[in-house]
Amino acid sequence: MKFPSLPWNRFPFNINFRSHARAIRLTVLVLLLGLSGYILYLDITIREAFEGRKFALPARVYGRALEVYPGLKLTPAQLVEELKTVGYHEDPEPEAAATYKYTLNGLEFTTRDFVFGDGPQAAQHLRIEFAEGRVSLLQDRGSADVDLPLLRIEPPLIGGIYPGHNEDRALLKLEQVPKPLIDALVSIEDRKYYSHWGIDPRGIARALYKTLSGQRIEGGSTLTQQLVKNFFLTSERTLTRKGTEVLMALLLEMHYGKDEILETYLNEIFLGQDATRAIHGFGLASHFYFDRPLERLELQEIATLVGMVKGPTVYDPRKNPELVLQRRNIVLQEMVRLDAITQAQFVEARQKPLGVIHRAPTGTSAYPAFLQLVHRQLQRDYREEDLRSEGLRIFTTLDPRVQRQAEQALSQRLADIEKARRMTARTLEGAVVVSSTQHGEILALVGGREARYAGYNRAVDALRPIGSLAKPIVFLTALEHSDRYTLVTPLDDSALVLKQAGTSDWKPQNYDHKYHDHVQLRTALAHSYNVSTARLGIELGVDNILDKLPLYGIERRPPSFASSLLGAFELSPVEVAQLYQTFADGGFRTPLRAIREIVTADGRPLQRYPLNVDPVAAAAPVYLLTNALQGVVREGTAQSLGNWLPAEMNVAGKTGTTDDLRDSWFAGYTGDRVAVVWVGRDDNKPSGLTGASGAMTIWGEMMKNIEPEPLLPTMPEDVELVNVDPVSGLVYDRECSTAVVIPFIKGTAPTETTPCADVATILPTDESPVIATDVKSEAKPEMNQTPEKSWLQRLFN
Amino acid sequence: MNRYSLIIIFALLLVGCASAPMQAPAASTLPDAAPQEPLPSPTGDGVTEPEPVRSGNPAVVALLDRARMDTGAGNRGAAGASLERGLRIEPRNAWLWHELAQLRLASGQYAQAVSLARKSISFAGGDRRLQAANWRVIGNARVAQGDSAGAEQAFKLAAEFEPVVPTEQPATGLFGNP
Repeated sequence: MKFPSLPWNRFPFNINFRSHARAIRLTVLVLLLGLSGYILYLDITIREAFEGRKFALPARVYGRALEVYPGLKLTPAQLVEELKTVGYHEDPEPEAAATYKYTLNGLEFTTRDFVFGDGPQAAQHLRIEFAEGRVSLLQDRGSADVDLPLLRIEPPLIGGIYPGHNEDRALLKLEQVPKPLIDALVSIEDRKYYSHWGIDPRGIARALYKTLSGQRIEGGSTLTQQLVKNFFLTSERTLTRKGTEVLMALLLEMHYGKDEILETYLNEIFLGQDATRAIHGFGLASHFYFDRPLERLELQEIATLVGMVKGPTVYDPRKNPELVLQRRNIVLQEMVRLDAITQAQFVEARQKPLGVIHRAPTGTSAYPAFLQLVHRQLQRDYREEDLRSEGLRIFTTLDPRVQRQAEQALSQRLADIEKARRMTARTLEGAVVVSSTQHGEILALVGGREARYAGYNRAVDALRPIGSLAKPIVFLTALEHSDRYTLVTPLDDSALVLKQAGTSDWKPQNYDHKYHDHVQLRTALAHSYNVSTARLGIELGVDNILDKLPLYGIERRPPSFASSLLGAFELSPVEVAQLYQTFADGGFRTPLRAIREIVTADGRPLQRYPLNVDPVAAAAPVYLLTNALQGVVREGTAQSLGNWLPAEMNVAGKTGTTDDLRDSWFAGYTGDRVAVVWVGRDDNKPSGLTGASGAMTIWGEMMKNIEPEPLLPTMPEDVELVNVDPVSGLVYDRECSTAVVIPFIKGTAPTETTPCADVATILPTDESPVIATDVKSEAKPEMNQTPEKSWLQRLFN
Repeated sequence: MNRYSLIIIFALLLVGCASAPMQAPAASTLPDAAPQEPLPSPTGDGVTEPEPVRSGNPAVVALLDRARMDTGAGNRGAAGASLERGLRIEPRNAWLWHELAQLRLASGQYAQAVSLARKSISFAGGDRRLQAANWRVIGNARVAQGDSAGAEQAFKLAAEFEPVVPTEQPATGLFGNP
């Protein structure tokens, strides 16, 4: 059988003609395949980029929600301030959400719908009245007014964070974007945006011509192309890149609607550089250049931002204000030409100055230090993928009112101190932490005197020797040995030389460079005597004392030297706050918290940080310690705190001063607040301030404005109050006008009695200590104070 | 102006000076007021025991009610949040701390139940009924922790504080036992 001749048998004869056509066909096929593969690749790439940006919603961080109820200490002005913070505005008919109006005795207002961590709360029409500095009436306005027991106002939004990225954005929804901005953008950048398919052929042709004729590639980019370019930012300007860009723009328009693309553009476009941080999106740019959210920008400010799209490096309003002003006015002109604004609006806007703030804030939040703490807590507690869940809502403990007082007290007092002491301005730095006594919630955190600017967060990161702030640990350990120590136990304050292995001889000195023979335990703490404290600590055992630090929530282990008892070890202000929180709360340790709960976008609780307490010290010794710390303020190193706070406040506190006056500390508590202030210099040079002349004055100024509750600790059942002779520490045999009332753990009061010589009537009255009333006066440093007063003088304290 | 009116003005001034500082502290402690009066003892069989006054502040009462509702709906997380809201208003209200301890007990967080009950005791003052309720929480938590000796001791203390309550009566509280 003969096989029919097959075509390929003839192949060699027709090679010139047939193979040519085939080769071309093959090449085209391969090219087409390659091209579609490439397009597919581009398609995947661009969609990934787009989807990634589109859904990167930040976690929203809220401060504490103000709880309002009849009886609450609150003034109309304070309420209005709170309402303004959460975006309410005045309206003669306050029926719409987030509006208010003043009435004769208070306010009428309407809240918003809001989903709290524990569920939704519907908008309410309300009436509130005030009397004598308190809320006297809270009603739901309706056909019949109903008294309400409690109202929770929406919490203030204090920032947005990308827990996963550590990137700052102020993301916008298209409906949030002011219409003039979109008009301006379309007018000046891409007039045919709403009709083209992603590219503008005429623009491309022009660009192509210019490139081929050897000129620079420029212009012709639609908003879609610009967005594509922005996703893959390179400075490369080649034809292939341009080709890729065109293809991607077409693909993008195939997949997504105009509004979606525009929204992403508005959030993505590059608008400036802040050191290592790129400013992307109009939301962030609005904060960066005008320190306001986009919704609150004026027409000419919007035009400025739109003008900068052309080239934010050249059109940088801080570097080239003239150029930017010209460009802004071109944008305005184009807007009026296309009837996007009226002639009158144009004339008015054109006359306005640029209005760009001189120095950029470092973020979109007014509370960078607090936000950083929140961020760190998140990083500690979560895996990154858990945090990618979009739109998390984080409810925190920040109280904007307390925070404001803390910031103001710090910046104002530091400036005053520098002025009064003729120091170079901005030499001093400081940090403040305020927490709530019984809940351990961090209400305010100030990381430096310029609280608005993120940077070195001293409240959390500055590790400084704590000096005498460590002494309460020694004294509490002593008081826990109630068989050996009471508040009146005499301590030896004579010269001490300690030889320790591994270190040179240690000779602690008192601040006044004197020794005081024998002093009562409470007096040694009140006047912060170093020598008697060191002797007491050595008697108790250095390690026995330092080993207790973890109980109070301090993880760092100071070196086992006796000098550690006098605070020769470093802690951050927030750690000191944790330490004093236990003293303030009767021996219960509550871990400090910045976050209450985290809720997913659909309202599902992701994590709660419940209130936990741990009894780590017996109530009675802590009660005695608090009494001694009240003595520090009443008659010891912090006596001048009386310039800020009345004696009835019964503040307990401790000053801390380190070698060569490098660090000035004050830690203390009232009935409801624990606060720590540190002042010093970033270069660690001497600040010239004692605890009392620096940090304490800030503490006092801040607390005065916070209006805390007085400190009235509950007396434990195993404590009794005894009248003793302040000098001898012996119990009086009868009621005596010279007695001081000292708490003792039952059964530990001195058994010896002393006769009462009631001589109060012959006291010279001019010897009573003068409590200064001039609040502005500089507090006295510790060294100027009488170290020990006679019992006659103390009688009047 | 005659002498008589001067005396009256002087007297008024004195009254003003005397009463102003006295009002302030009284008012400022208002939100923290703990339950004051110890409640009447139950009459033997424990059936007619009246509901204790847990707070004089309607806001706190409303939050306690809400916590009760959330617990009923099985939402202990939200109940805890409401109790914490209450504690932010009245940080020294021993009943709120007790309710929180009960809630932790019901959630099986025994160590926290004990700690919170101790905290409640520290604010309970002379309220023997509350003291007893807290010791019962501690006793129940210790039973669950396997500390029978500690539990016995706690129940004994509870009985000392409230001897008339029959031993078989369960701990009274919003959240019951685990």
